[in-house]
Amino acid sequence: MAVANNELEKVIIQSVMEELAKKGLLSQKGKDHVMAAAMMDTPLVPNTESEEMVTFPPQEEMQISNPFNADAVKAMKKLTPARIGIGRAGTRPKTMSLLRFLADHAVAQDAVFLDVSEGFLQRMNLMSVQSAAVSKDEFLQRPDLGRRLSEEAVKIVSEKCEKNVQVQILIVDGLSSTAIEANIPDLLPALMQGLKSAGIKVGAPFFVKNGRVWVQDHVASIVNSEVIISLIGERPGLGTAESLSAYMIYRPNETTVEADRTVISNIHKGGIPPAEAGAHLTDVIQQILAAKASGVKLNQQK
Amino acid sequence: MPESTNQKITSVGIDIGTTTTQLVISQLTIENTASGTLVPRVEITDKEVIHRSRIYFTPLLDRDLINAVEVSKIVETEYKAAGLTPEMIDTGAVIITGETAKKENAKAIIDALAGFAGDFVVATAGANLEAIYAGKGSGAALYSAQRHQVTVNIDVGGGTSNYAMFHEGKAVDSSCLNVGGHLIEFERHGDRITYISEPAKIALKHTGQRLQPGERVTLPQLRPIVKAMAGCVVDVLKTSVHTELTKELLMTPPLQLAHPIRKVMISGGVADYVYALNGPTTMAEVTAFGDFGPLLGWELKVCLERDGFVLEKPAETVRATVIGTGTQSVNLSGSTIHLQENTLPIRNVMVISPFTSLIPETPQGIAEVIKNEILRLQVDHFEGIAAIAMKGPRTMSFANINILAQGLLLGMHDYLCKAKPLILVVEADCGKVLGQCINASANKPLELICIDQLEVDNCDYIDIGKPLMGGRVVPVVLKTLVFNR
Repeated sequence: MAVANNELEKVIIQSVMEELAKKGLLSQKGKDHVMAAAMMDTPLVPNTESEEMVTFPPQEEMQISNPFNADAVKAMKKLTPARIGIGRAGTRPKTMSLLRFLADHAVAQDAVFLDVSEGFLQRMNLMSVQSAAVSKDEFLQRPDLGRRLSEEAVKIVSEKCEKNVQVQILIVDGLSSTAIEANIPDLLPALMQGLKSAGIKVGAPFFVKNGRVWVQDHVASIVNSEVIISLIGERPGLGTAESLSAYMIYRPNETTVEADRTVISNIHKGGIPPAEAGAHLTDVIQQILAAKASGVKLNQQK
Repeated sequence: MPESTNQKITSVGIDIGTTTTQLVISQLTIENTASGTLVPRVEITDKEVIHRSRIYFTPLLDRDLINAVEVSKIVETEYKAAGLTPEMIDTGAVIITGETAKKENAKAIIDALAGFAGDFVVATAGANLEAIYAGKGSGAALYSAQRHQVTVNIDVGGGTSNYAMFHEGKAVDSSCLNVGGHLIEFERHGDRITYISEPAKIALKHTGQRLQPGERVTLPQLRPIVKAMAGCVVDVLKTSVHTELTKELLMTPPLQLAHPIRKVMISGGVADYVYALNGPTTMAEVTAFGDFGPLLGWELKVCLERDGFVLEKPAETVRATVIGTGTQSVNLSGSTIHLQENTLPIRNVMVISPFTSLIPETPQGIAEVIKNEILRLQVDHFEGIAAIAMKGPRTMSFANINILAQGLLLGMHDYLCKAKPLILVVEADCGKVLGQCINASANKPLELICIDQLEVDNCDYIDIGKPLMGGRVVPVVLKTLVFNR
């Protein structure tokens, strides 16, 4: 049956190619190439059953073949997620370290290019609006567009968000959607509980797609909150793609500069655990509200 | 909110041993080492010994009863010499070690020294803790972390040899052997025996020698017994199959020897003779301090080198334990929640570790474990304050932290009804959020102290000091009281 199918396939492809070539849509060279590919014995569709999953050795495993002091390498590896103690094959990395590097790079790219899933936003009960950047490509090429809301978003925010609250929370994808999905489920409830216990009035948190840090200034100008906090995915590295930052600012306006923002970074399971970060951010927000200032101005008051 | 970036605290350490008593005063610098965009991390960044006392013979009323009044006089004299008053001392630890680590002594000294060390006077004793303090004071702990080599420190004092094994700066094993330089006493610079202790009698029986107080001995007569004792010290490092004599002299379980030993350091009164170029050649040299310490030191070196151990010189020898006591007994918590500052300091908080394995899944399950442990330890009859220690929630998710908070409130319900504060010590970095969850779940305002990033393994009691660094951390002294076992 496979042989018969192959023969039939060949005939179909050949006639399609000839039709395309007649219309000038395919060169002779192009036609030959596609035909050659079609004639190959092995199918081009990968067979998932025969593909083996690659399992990496645990990251903490020391890969140096004959270490002088294995304890020293182990202790140093414990201190950093950096690629140390990975050994070498001649002047090149070992296959496993190279594969791990490529895999980590792929994870980092996914974090930037993937969107936060609709299912996640529904589960977290978050309203979603978009920045002025309509696609990921535009978001990456035009930083200015990620810093303000789309016209539609402006309308939604002005209609649906509570005004004049003490704190407005934004969840912004930034450069890592992965960070949002990994941390928000533990961070947001801890932060909401802390603010509630402290008797602080908080507007309903919502999500901004394709957003950058400055989008918080635009939102604040609409909702008129005292403090606005963005929980935003950090630029992923090869160590983790799950790191999240919290940027907070007290009443931003047109004279706002970067030094006016207070930031807590490195929130992820290997850094500040997200739930603990929620409780810590409550403290920081209370300080900002009391000082009526954020960023360097807040530190100067301490 | 005023927020200092660094703060200094003055700590006193007092070591009362079988033979000698010493005191050091050190200054610890506490700093926030995290950068501005991270959660503050407060650490002890510098330890400076600002005063070392003379080395006194331990004042005794009889062979093992300490003269507490005399000890307090020593402390008073040394404070004066250092130009300090008790009010200037923030924290302190007293360690009573070796043969004198007895309940009556500890009690008398706590009473006699109350008021000499600021917010707390702490009496700690116990061979294992002494060994660890000695190893930290000698520099063995630091050496093991800096060179990444497993290092054993043996503090050889008058009555005991205390072993502590360090791996990457952490004590991983300890033991105590009843061998020391003062087990046989002599006329100073003479050759007449004035006293033979029990462990020395045991050793004499094994070498088949008959020595009596009042007798005069020669160096060749003394050497076999001292060699035998030194052999026992090395025996513990070498193997877990011990000679009969070693077995009899071990005061605690032996070293487990789970890690291969790379370096050996000797501290304590005998140490200087281990690192000497030449051994003693006459009885007068041996008995310079009225004992056989110099000879034990030399024989120990010979024995260690014969068995292939590599000796490393410690930073401190005779003062190792007291320096370790003074500089290492204070631990700092991570970020902390505490509601009522005026409840601090609290002394002698009993530590309960109810969870031996993974924390149960439901609040009810957690509560049951806590209630059983409270029942087992009869905490309800205990007048003082107890703390619940644990590694952390089942997972670090907010849901699991909340479940833990509810379980703790449920399990501690009866205890909290007595208007006692709820004190929690957690190893994981979740003190703030756990405290927040407890406050949110409690139906009435609670007095709550929630300390994180602190390990309290093998510890019976803790003292919690007044908050430092703008209320972000509390100093915690971990205590293992041998006389409570």
